[in-house]
Amino acid sequence: MINKYKFSTYVMRFFVYVLLFFLLIVTIIPIWLLIVNATRSTTEIQQGLSILPSSHMIENYNILIGRGLNLPRGFANSLFLAIASTVVTVYFSLLTAYGLVVYQFRGRKLISNFIIVLVMIPLQLSIIGFYRFMSKIGLTDNYLSLILPLLANAGAVFFGKQYFESMLIQDLIDAARIDGASELGIFHLVMLPLAVPGAATLGIFAFVASWNNFFNAFILITSLQKYTLPMLVQTMRGDVYRTEYGAIYLGLAITIVPIIIIYAIFSRYIVSGIALGAVKE
Amino acid sequence: MKIAMFKKIPTGYLFLTPFIIGFLIFGLYPVLNTLGLSFTNTTVMSSVHKFIWFDNFKSLFKDHVFIRAVGNTWLIWMLNFIPQVGIAMFLSVLFTSARLKVRAIGTWRALFFLPNLLMPAAVAALFNALFAYYGPVNQFMVRAGFMSEATRFLESILVTRGLVVFIQWWMWFGQTIIILMAGMTSIPITLYEAAMVDGASVWQMFRRITLPLLKPILIFIFVTSLVGGMQMFDIPFMLTDGRGSPLSSIQTNNILMYMKFASSKGHIGLASSVGVMVFIMTTVCALGIFYFLRDRDLGDKQPKRRLSIKKNTERSQS
Repeated sequence: MINKYKFSTYVMRFFVYVLLFFLLIVTIIPIWLLIVNATRSTTEIQQGLSILPSSHMIENYNILIGRGLNLPRGFANSLFLAIASTVVTVYFSLLTAYGLVVYQFRGRKLISNFIIVLVMIPLQLSIIGFYRFMSKIGLTDNYLSLILPLLANAGAVFFGKQYFESMLIQDLIDAARIDGASELGIFHLVMLPLAVPGAATLGIFAFVASWNNFFNAFILITSLQKYTLPMLVQTMRGDVYRTEYGAIYLGLAITIVPIIIIYAIFSRYIVSGIALGAVKE
Repeated sequence: MKIAMFKKIPTGYLFLTPFIIGFLIFGLYPVLNTLGLSFTNTTVMSSVHKFIWFDNFKSLFKDHVFIRAVGNTWLIWMLNFIPQVGIAMFLSVLFTSARLKVRAIGTWRALFFLPNLLMPAAVAALFNALFAYYGPVNQFMVRAGFMSEATRFLESILVTRGLVVFIQWWMWFGQTIIILMAGMTSIPITLYEAAMVDGASVWQMFRRITLPLLKPILIFIFVTSLVGGMQMFDIPFMLTDGRGSPLSSIQTNNILMYMKFASSKGHIGLASSVGVMVFIMTTVCALGIFYFLRDRDLGDKQPKRRLSIKKNTERSQS
């Protein structure tokens, strides 16, 4: 009886690993092909499939740049925008979340619930009204139109609130008050340094969200000089690169690989962050 | 103490001020602005515009374009959501199983989650390249003898829709696993022990313990996925020509809105009415599901037992 149970467990385990390896291949193969093809010349790519890298990356890069696509500029733009977005999101979300968790005031519960509702509202669909508003005050084609809305990032506030609720040390706040620190001073000098792990998680998500953001930038940014990477990916589909497969793969790889590197370093924070943002409602 | 309480009142608001101002200006006002514009015939080119009541909405329903876009969006979302939750649920059960003891769960999860972080626009462009006429998929299929000649995959409705569904699934099933597992591990183990003593089967335990207690999390996944799915843009836009080809089969709500906005005249009014319709549809569905399902119990056959389970979870969650 026991042996039969053990045997069937082994069989089940075997099939579970087969399934997991299958899913792993499905998950990885598109990314792997992308990276491999980015290093192969267009001729090699047309000749056939390979799962091993080649040596034409520099060549592909020169083709990519040589046809007028300012990839370094796009990379710098994306990086600047992502860093600015991260700073604004992390600071203001934690500020709001801290205010909601620490202080008692009328409407606190209402605002907390309202933030949950905001998470569930498709605000992106008001982009046309937003575009019109921005063009009236002269902020179209300006990164501010992509950064300022992050002052009220409901999802990030929700995460920050969960985080502060799980860590808050009321005694520390009281001690700082007795030492004569102002309320904002307590937040800046005592709580923010303590909240670094949460801020890091939040920051990674904000960075990735900004780095990948295509739709809003596509509508609001118009001059080529200010194009971000996803917008350059969009222009890469044009006729100029139609047959330059190697260059296209390399262009895509350049947008994707930095995120893979960030993930390789911070995956622990990211995975735990997702769980924290969802569980407990 | 009283003075301290009095002093605390304005401070809370002080911390919330940036959020509230930011929300009013960049969140609420654009929504109202979009609503206002949807009743006008505003274009990008002209500064004068007229109030035309519901004409935009009427014209939306007059041709089949809008209905088709909404239908496409729902179809693509549902075809991705059902297998996404199904497979994620299955894997979560395997990962949390005390009997199987799967190794390196953290690594598996981390790898399955990876596609979620990649730029959707670049991912769609990648699949466009992979499934191109001279792309690797055609090469592989022909060389391996599965097909006699190369196919124009991206001109087939079935393949393009299938690809959008697959990409969405590929990008989101890993995240769903992480969320579901977080929910499953928060269920007190004593419940399963008690059920095992009573001789419950694995399926019974899943059906009677895991599923009911995961309800809030399932609602969370459902609602956030729905809201995201109704705004799907990057992937169908970048996979083909940006108009939802072939035959508009992957033209989603947002692509339609963008096409109205970017048309030669720039019909801002009409584009706004698309946004308003989808906004209302999505918000009503999302909030409706959230509020109607949130506090009710599943089924009403055995109230006593469920009551005790509920008490347990409340204790474990607090």
